[in-house]
Amino acid sequence: MTALPGRFNDGRTAASRQVTVTPGTNGLDIRGEDGLMVAFWKTADLRADGELPDGAGVRLRCAADPDARLSLAQAEFIRPLLPKPPRFPWLKLAGTFAGALGVLAALWLGIPAGARALAIMVPSAWEKGWGDTLADELERRWGTCRQPAGDAALQLLAARLGAGIAPDLHLNRLVVVRRTENNALALPGGSVLVFSGLLAQAESSDELAGVLAHEFTHLRLRHPTVAMIRAAGIGMAVMLVTGDASGLAASGAAMAMAGAYSRDDESAADAGAVTLLTQAGIGTQGLAAFFRRLDDGPPGLTGWLSTHPDSRARAQAVETQGGERQAPAATRPALEPEQWAAIKGICGQ
Amino acid sequence: MPEHLSPTRHGARHGERPFAHVAGTGSMLRLALLNFLLNVLTLSLWRFWAKTRVRRLLWSGTAAWGDHAEYTGRGGELFLGFVVVMVSVFMPILVALTAAQMAVEAGNPWGNAFVLLIQAVAVFLAFAGLYRARRYQLSRTLWRGIRAGQDGEAWRYGLMVLGCGLVNVLSLGWTWPWTEMTLARYRLGNTRFGDERFVCTARARGLYRRFAVMWGVAALVLCLPLVTVLGLYLSGDGILESAEPALLFIIGLLLAGGVVLVLALPYAWYRAAVLRQLVAATRFAGTTFHLDARTAPLLRLGLGNWLIGVLSLGILRPWAALREFRFVCANLSADCEPDWSSVRQSAAAAPRLGEGLAAVFDGAGEF
Ligand SMILES: [Zn+2]
Repeated sequence: MTALPGRFNDGRTAASRQVTVTPGTNGLDIRGEDGLMVAFWKTADLRADGELPDGAGVRLRCAADPDARLSLAQAEFIRPLLPKPPRFPWLKLAGTFAGALGVLAALWLGIPAGARALAIMVPSAWEKGWGDTLADELERRWGTCRQPAGDAALQLLAARLGAGIAPDLHLNRLVVVRRTENNALALPGGSVLVFSGLLAQAESSDELAGVLAHEFTHLRLRHPTVAMIRAAGIGMAVMLVTGDASGLAASGAAMAMAGAYSRDDESAADAGAVTLLTQAGIGTQGLAAFFRRLDDGPPGLTGWLSTHPDSRARAQAVETQGGERQAPAATRPALEPEQWAAIKGICGQ
Repeated sequence: MPEHLSPTRHGARHGERPFAHVAGTGSMLRLALLNFLLNVLTLSLWRFWAKTRVRRLLWSGTAAWGDHAEYTGRGGELFLGFVVVMVSVFMPILVALTAAQMAVEAGNPWGNAFVLLIQAVAVFLAFAGLYRARRYQLSRTLWRGIRAGQDGEAWRYGLMVLGCGLVNVLSLGWTWPWTEMTLARYRLGNTRFGDERFVCTARARGLYRRFAVMWGVAALVLCLPLVTVLGLYLSGDGILESAEPALLFIIGLLLAGGVVLVLALPYAWYRAAVLRQLVAATRFAGTTFHLDARTAPLLRLGLGNWLIGVLSLGILRPWAALREFRFVCANLSADCEPDWSSVRQSAAAAPRLGEGLAAVFDGAGEF
């Protein structure tokens, strides 16, 4: 067989020397320009992971002399002698994929439980601090509605609803804010903001009582705090897996996953609201009516991605639970007509 | 006489251009797209192996004095280093930072001091991590079978960066060239090939004319939009409050893009001088080097790479890295060939684990 020109490094110094390489049946015979033998590399010892890019040749190693290198520009005669280069690690890749899915599943199940456990450990002064900061900011941005008669009526309703759960409920602010949406908001540390749009659209004081009972249950179960911790936990988990410290991937995932978790909170708050209303002797039809009025969008679209469950299903659940536990004769309206009128007019005309 | 024809500056004295890069753009693009696909399939966990494959191509395409470099790192090393650092460093910091921020929001007076302290620790760890990452990369870099390496202490480098940052803030940036050269001296002066160390004596002297121009342009460009926004805000017309958030976002994006374009030219002008000076003051085994870094090609390289990164959402960053390698190989020359037979394999131990910290605070790019 023909002798091929090559370059040889002995791995002890950085010197390079021109050699001629003769492939034989047992291995490569490597000789210097003076014809003296430099090395003999056995075929079984050859390692081929040094394929140079874009046809620049091949760089060989030898298991018996791991630091030495032999580079050949024309490698056509050598390649058949070499062991097959390592195949693409598809199996490893599949394993990584399965592992990643497993980690995700564990996080999906573990984060809500962990957030609940952590929320209990948060000092209530901190919770109140966050809630106050948030509520002050929202009140400043949206503006509030205050009138003595309306405020008194609101407090009266809150006291009647909260009577059944007093030790757990730390309601320290109940304010009407100027927002046209038909909604209300529970914040950490016991703040509830009622939107003026809700008051404008509500047809009876029982509807307002139902919504307040729902928000009070969120507070009793510390849902706002749990949701904050959950969002931080999701962000942290995503950062752990992706290594993206910018938080871009984290906040996106937190938003997408927060919706799925908060639907469980909403169902729990609905069930708790029925209990509160029953204890206070207020009918649950008001809450059901509120949900029925929310439900004007096409069904099914809200579904899985939305933060709240389907309104029609919520109305149905409230009616079923209420029907099981309340006798219509045992209930009386949440507020007297003049109190309800005072609340309705709290934002002026 | 045009600069590039002048024989005294770029001809006879620096005639030997021993470096070349042979990897084609096609190979790199194919690899980058394959890596992107696998990253999507593995929720980005493939990135350690992706990085390793990109480096292998970059290194093995680099030829010096006729022989190709070699990258012997493994994806598993990077992955393991990442996991160790995530659990032992990053998670505690993140938890501490979250707790400190919650304390701030709850109105705790010590909260802000804690946040600042934790951020300083994070910066220190990030740069100590970058130094360690460099040590890892060099220990996996071979040429003619001889390993490169890095001495020096990562914690010392991290403290140096922290101190330099402080000095730069206090001096409004005017110490930047000096701190830049100090840090570069530490990095390069601790770099080894085999048992032979690089010697770096680079100083900031001579850089200040270009730096002053860059500083002036930057101050102007950064102040104008700030003053405009502040003026609109203080005039009390409520323009900023009433404007569509989306519109404000787009305007902000355009402004940021404009700032990059305007700053790019003086920055490239300054960068070219820094690179030339740094390389000219670096010696290896008696050989001095010369980098023919000029403003226009450097600007093309930088803006091109920025566009590649932005337009491909980072997917084609390996291509940008290839362009950098090509630029250095094409413009780096040596005044003579070192006596390679006096450069021996070093017995110094190489780090076992991968880059860890740098992989967490990933700012080191794709190579
Ligand atoms: Zn709710």
